[in-house]
Amino acid sequence: MWRICLAIIQKDCTILLLRGSSVLHAILLGLLLIFTFSFSLSPGDTLSCQTSATIFWISSLFCLILLFNQLFAVEETNGQRFALSMLPSPPFLLWLAKTATGLGLLLISQLVFLPACIVFLGHAPSPNTFLITLANITITDLGICSLGSLLGALAQGQASKESLLSILLFPLLTPLLLAGISIHSQCMEGLQENISQWFTLATAFDCIFLASTSYFFSFIYSDDE
Amino acid sequence: MIQIHNLAKQYGQRSVLKGVNANFRPGTTTLLSGNNGSGKTTLLKLIAGLAKPTSGLIEIDEHQGEPARISYVAHQTFLYPSLTAFENLAFWSKCYDLPDDGNQIYDILEEFNLLPFADTCTRSFSRGMSQRLNLARAFMLNPSILLLDEPFTGLDSPSQELLRQKLLDVREKGTCSILITHDIFHDASLADAVLRIEGGSLSDVSTETLQGSHPNLIDQFNPKSSTPCGGSV
Amino acid sequence: MYLPFLAIGLIGIISAQCLIFLYAPIESTLGISQKIFYIHLPLAWWGLLAFFLLFATSILYLWKRDLRFHFISLAAGELGELLAVLTVATGSIWGKIAWGVWWTWDPRLTTALVLCFIYGGWLILRTMEWPLVKRATILSVTGIIAFLDVPLVFISARIWRSIHPAVFTSNGIGMTHEMILTVLFSIASFGLFFIGLLLLRIKTLEKELFIESIINRI
Repeated sequence: MWRICLAIIQKDCTILLLRGSSVLHAILLGLLLIFTFSFSLSPGDTLSCQTSATIFWISSLFCLILLFNQLFAVEETNGQRFALSMLPSPPFLLWLAKTATGLGLLLISQLVFLPACIVFLGHAPSPNTFLITLANITITDLGICSLGSLLGALAQGQASKESLLSILLFPLLTPLLLAGISIHSQCMEGLQENISQWFTLATAFDCIFLASTSYFFSFIYSDDE
Repeated sequence: MIQIHNLAKQYGQRSVLKGVNANFRPGTTTLLSGNNGSGKTTLLKLIAGLAKPTSGLIEIDEHQGEPARISYVAHQTFLYPSLTAFENLAFWSKCYDLPDDGNQIYDILEEFNLLPFADTCTRSFSRGMSQRLNLARAFMLNPSILLLDEPFTGLDSPSQELLRQKLLDVREKGTCSILITHDIFHDASLADAVLRIEGGSLSDVSTETLQGSHPNLIDQFNPKSSTPCGGSV
Repeated sequence: MYLPFLAIGLIGIISAQCLIFLYAPIESTLGISQKIFYIHLPLAWWGLLAFFLLFATSILYLWKRDLRFHFISLAAGELGELLAVLTVATGSIWGKIAWGVWWTWDPRLTTALVLCFIYGGWLILRTMEWPLVKRATILSVTGIIAFLDVPLVFISARIWRSIHPAVFTSNGIGMTHEMILTVLFSIASFGLFFIGLLLLRIKTLEKELFIESIINRI
């Protein structure tokens, strides 16, 4: 069963990373956002850490939208989703494969966004908060990818899938984004007492949405009319 | 064995299939005909598990102690344009946990005259080549149930002949094939039975149409002693 | 069925205005502006209840596959969105008078605004070109997912920061008997009107399906 999951991940990575420029598009969009926000600075000015963290996560979100649209679009060109639906495995595995691929590609993109934010926006996480930054990015990414995977599958086949995905995803992610921004900001300007509350909230979000999206994926991705 | 009991399917308010009953036995090939929009593809999708019946039941027996493996050749080719012919087959091979030595994939590509294009992205394939690769995928999976929706579309004469031969081969191996065609007289030589969908119901036209209207086909069309498919008339 | 609810609800809402302006005393700190509270609170409560109804009927639809549950969830979603928008609007007006700004970061107000966005997206899904049953399934799934987010939105907004006046605290309700009576009357009147609108909308949705089926047959 897990072989199917690995096969889908390998296939998606080959298509998106080696045979197309989709990941590059997504990374470029994120970079452009970070670069454009740097226009708001006068010479010698710096943005607040919170603004810098917000820009990082907004770039990540827009990147995620392009990634998940592409991840599900590859199953639409020649009706591949029908063949995937016939595999001797639960639809959960397809959700898992898409979520894992999306998470991996988003982490790769953030490896570019993080230094870009330091260069253009002038704030870097302090070295002693490296592990907290890493944990924050991982936990936040896990939550947004689980929802992105479900809603990406839902938006496929619609003419305005990018805007539909943004409209649905952004408000649902509000609590997780607040947690991600707050922790990221604290990693740059100093940790505060409520950091554990944010981690608890982000973990609760991940638990609730990993469970619900993996369960409901089969309802969304079935072809039944 | 596929057993269909009182199958009905509605899309919204539109009733496509009404009370369909049929049995499809292993080692048989059944032709399915009917006008456009009569519900042929819907029936295949229901058997493939791609759609849920509105009412009724489809029972699919295990094949040699394992769940039946269904291969479906639809109008769409299920191919990834960015992957090569080999990579496409390798992906589906992994998904179905087939032996992973690569030779089997090259063998099937050769059988369908696609070996020179093994490392070519299928984006550049013609309609006929894509259909051949689609068929290669379907046969590679060693299905116990083979569902083919107008499989001859886009194929040249040698490929059509190859497909006919492959269908006869898999019938010998015990595969249950259901084939949608608009040319039942031309494809009758392949079939153990011919069913027609009309008004949402299934009828057996093996004897009526083929023997009545086209007596010259009787020699080609040689139904087995017992009719494998019983359509609800 | 819906008419008595609408009629009694409407009379109740008109009567509630008399109670609000003639019977309930003027609040000492916030003054006359506090009167908006008698409309703001029922809108917020019934709005949240509408979203809960949408959540519950979405679960029931996925379980029973009965389109009647889907129609209830559609009607509840539309009404919930309307009430949430009105909650934010009345809250914003009250905020301008009480706190001097149109918008401020407050858990309840922020939750209401985020709910407006979430269920606004949900309503847009309604307009997508899916077959009826598939659309019902997709809307049910998203209806459940959306409601699961509500407590998280509220908690996250609370951790962020809060300045909302606590109406119901652990020390008591903080209102006079006249105020309590007026707000309860207002909640009940809005409730009856809400139920009337809900029943009316369910009926129109069923009629829409019926007309669609006739057109398909033709």
